[in-house]
Amino acid sequence: MKKLALAVSLALAASGGALAQEKTIQVTGFGAKTGVIRLFGINSEAAMLAAAEVINKQGGVKLADGSKAKIAVEFLDDRCNAEEGISVIRRIYSSDAMVAVGPTCSNVAEPLYGILQKKVDDKGDSGLQMPVFTDVAIKGGLAKISEWSFRNVPSEWIMYSSLYYWLSTKHPQFKTVYGGVEEDFAHSRASWYSVMKDRAQANGYTVVGESKWLLNDSNFSTQVREMKKANADILSIAAHPFTTCGLLKEMKRQGYKPKLLVGLTSTSSLEVMQGCPKDVEGMIIPTSFAPVNKEAKFAAAATAKYKGSADLHSMAAWENMFILKQVMEAEGISGDKKQVQADRRKIRDGLAKLKTTQGLLGVSKRTDDREADKPYLFVHASKGEWKVLHNPL
Amino acid sequence: MDFYYGLAQIVGVHTLLGLSAYVVLLTGQVSLAQAGFFAVGAYTAGMLTVLAGWHIAPALGASALCGAATACAVGFPALRVKGLMLVIATLAFGEGVRLVFFNFDYQIAKGGIKVGPLGGEGFRQIRFFPENGWTTFDVMLFIWLFVIAAMAALWWFDRSRYGAVLRAVGEDELAAQSVGVNLTAVKVSAMTVGGAIAGVGGGLYAHYTTHIEHSSFNVLVATFAIAYPIVGGLSNVFGTLAAVIFVQAFLVEGLRDLGDWRNLLFGALIVAAMNLRPHGFFGRRH
Amino acid sequence: MLDFAQVVLDGLLFGATYALIGIGFTLVFGVMHKLNLSYAAASIGGAYCGLLVLQVMAGAPAWLVFLCGFLAGGVLGYVVYLACFHFIPFSSPLATLMSTVGMLLLIDEIIVHATEGRPLNYPAMFDDVMLRAGELSLRGDLLLVFAVAVLCMAALLLVLYKTKLGIATRAVSQQPMAAQLCGIRIGRVNALTFVVTGLLGGIAGALIGASVGTLSPLLTLPLTVKGLIVTVIGGLGSIPGAIIAGLLVGGFENVFQLYRGVTERDLYVMLLLFVFLVFRPGGIFSPQSGRH
Repeated sequence: MKKLALAVSLALAASGGALAQEKTIQVTGFGAKTGVIRLFGINSEAAMLAAAEVINKQGGVKLADGSKAKIAVEFLDDRCNAEEGISVIRRIYSSDAMVAVGPTCSNVAEPLYGILQKKVDDKGDSGLQMPVFTDVAIKGGLAKISEWSFRNVPSEWIMYSSLYYWLSTKHPQFKTVYGGVEEDFAHSRASWYSVMKDRAQANGYTVVGESKWLLNDSNFSTQVREMKKANADILSIAAHPFTTCGLLKEMKRQGYKPKLLVGLTSTSSLEVMQGCPKDVEGMIIPTSFAPVNKEAKFAAAATAKYKGSADLHSMAAWENMFILKQVMEAEGISGDKKQVQADRRKIRDGLAKLKTTQGLLGVSKRTDDREADKPYLFVHASKGEWKVLHNPL
Repeated sequence: MDFYYGLAQIVGVHTLLGLSAYVVLLTGQVSLAQAGFFAVGAYTAGMLTVLAGWHIAPALGASALCGAATACAVGFPALRVKGLMLVIATLAFGEGVRLVFFNFDYQIAKGGIKVGPLGGEGFRQIRFFPENGWTTFDVMLFIWLFVIAAMAALWWFDRSRYGAVLRAVGEDELAAQSVGVNLTAVKVSAMTVGGAIAGVGGGLYAHYTTHIEHSSFNVLVATFAIAYPIVGGLSNVFGTLAAVIFVQAFLVEGLRDLGDWRNLLFGALIVAAMNLRPHGFFGRRH
Repeated sequence: MLDFAQVVLDGLLFGATYALIGIGFTLVFGVMHKLNLSYAAASIGGAYCGLLVLQVMAGAPAWLVFLCGFLAGGVLGYVVYLACFHFIPFSSPLATLMSTVGMLLLIDEIIVHATEGRPLNYPAMFDDVMLRAGELSLRGDLLLVFAVAVLCMAALLLVLYKTKLGIATRAVSQQPMAAQLCGIRIGRVNALTFVVTGLLGGIAGALIGASVGTLSPLLTLPLTVKGLIVTVIGGLGSIPGAIIAGLLVGGFENVFQLYRGVTERDLYVMLLLFVFLVFRPGGIFSPQSGRH
């Protein structure tokens, strides 16, 4: 009896000790898991879970006191709606999550960053003090809204600059560019006017004009006629899969084929391949992810196990997890549930200090306004798949 | 707690939206234009605080006035049509307002950057609340001040002759007219009151999301506006409040953990609610 | 400046799709006096069901997909009837309105759920056919849509005025009490008419999917708004009115877009609607019947 009691109490002590050591760090992702863009949220969640599994298998995150903690991931759906996004970030703030990863939509990111504290240590600013590390929302120039907002998204400005430069050297005979733009979607609109158009002109192209349509338009007859009339060498489209496919089909109907077709970064996804695989053939897109090396392939496979697919958006979420681990360890967070706000501040400061981060395609640089300058390559649509066209790395 | 205060803010603003449709529904008019008045209020208040440096309180006053004026202007032509045609006319109007803002650019340079509405890109950095140190709790109280004022006003109307007249017109226009009620005046006044409430709601919406764009005021928002009073029942203002709490606190927020089943439940529950309680949660006045 | 005539022609042709969905809307709203806001969603839902044919038979011809969409539309019509109209009493039009809104959201969400939000390629007939009339070119597939719209109109007018079901439908919508007293079973008549309009919606959805080329839940809301506009401009309950109005809206839309750009286009369409509401609330063809 006495031996049994001793054994039991020893076992209890041991397990109690182990339980006392089992710490978790909560990282909460959020984004659109429902609605037409639900794949983005599903993929980001899968990537975050897959990354957390890898980190935890390697022991987890090292805390300031030398112990290790596992990363726990939760993902909340904001339905690509600004009010819900704000509600979600408040919910995350009220929890013991260290950092929020998201959102998917730029129209959520902009209001969300707006409710964050603009400058740290500004006592008069009652904005939320929560570090937000964005994986997907790509509209240019958002992170500078708040010192608590950070992004790991490719710079469309840099990528298109490089793309147009490369095109001008590879096809010097092509001189003119014509644009196609979704006018009512802030991201597409900004991408054409501020990025594609600007960068094409900077690389010596003459932008002959642009055709416009709306996000859910389905009649492109006038636009294609305008394009035919302009007869530019390169057609550069800043639109999402639904209207891109509609436009391409109308082009086929009217027998118009530009010499080169350039697309929007977010279009290099499976959606376009399901919507109009034949019509998109040949479209060139710059992207910050393709499974071209060992790490990228590993990340893609790990994410697939969680039923997500790997593309530039979800792989940013993957990268974010590892960057966060690195920052947490560098800043020495306590992992103590009673010191969550102090830890959040440390993570924010750590992210702000970073000059470079490790990405799947190579090293990304961090800019002063909390954006990323990520390595990129060019892919093109070939026989129903996105294949690497040119790898400047 | 911050989260609950934020949720209360959302419930508050949506209640204002619902109440603006409620008062119009009392007169038997289904108005899908409330989102348009909401938008007018949002852009007005935003522009006044950001571009003109006004304090939020007078800015909201201006929102109410602009919302009311727009609604009054809509009310008159809307009287030419009834029933289904009014639904479509108000829908078209609401969409028209949204499209006006889609094309509306008014930017001025402030502190080195340009601020103000920029057409399709929206109106960003409406940061009156955080810049002036208002906490989530402060904003919540502020919003609820207006909600309680609106509910009190509408409750008082119901107790007064005006409310009886509104409902009389809603029940049977011919009968009301035959006892001397001026249909035009009643319907337009209801629209105007609704427009004022929606204007205030919109102004608050602009400030607690800090960023507005034309797509924040689409057909879906207009539909939610009438959904709240219909689901809540037209017998009193608490029906609308209950419906807003049911939708925003329970369906949208409470079910968030259900992932994408939440959206499916949404439509299904509305269908079920209408089948089980066709006159809304609180039923109709007998 | 593009050839004005071509722009008008393009618009008119695309308007055939509005005409097709408009016929169903005007039937539902104008003849049956039912506020069914989920009509366009159910039509697109039917079109999606048509794609199931391709799951079973990979290289199925387009017309088979359309047929499946046609039938699925009918089934969905009945489902909408049960969910939104059968149990809710006549005295609660607001409740039926709101339940159809719920149905719209539900159908949209089911589509998103099943397809993961991705746009899907839709088979088409004659989509590579471009006819020429002098300098102008016409889309062959849209001419097919127009032909189908005219056929549907003929079929519906036949049903409405020459069959027992049609007479019963009109009786029920004009004077439900009297109709019941005459022995007409309201429930059965309503259910059948919902199935008929559902079938119409199914074919409309399928052909619209075919002319756009890709099917996406993004189609439902704009189609709903367009359908309502066409119904009002054409005259509530007038089937020929719906066709003319559909073509008109399509044509005007394109012209507005040519002159004022795509951002202001819809604003002018709304203004067009207002003009009709103020000056001719009965629409182009104010119906002789009905109790407006």
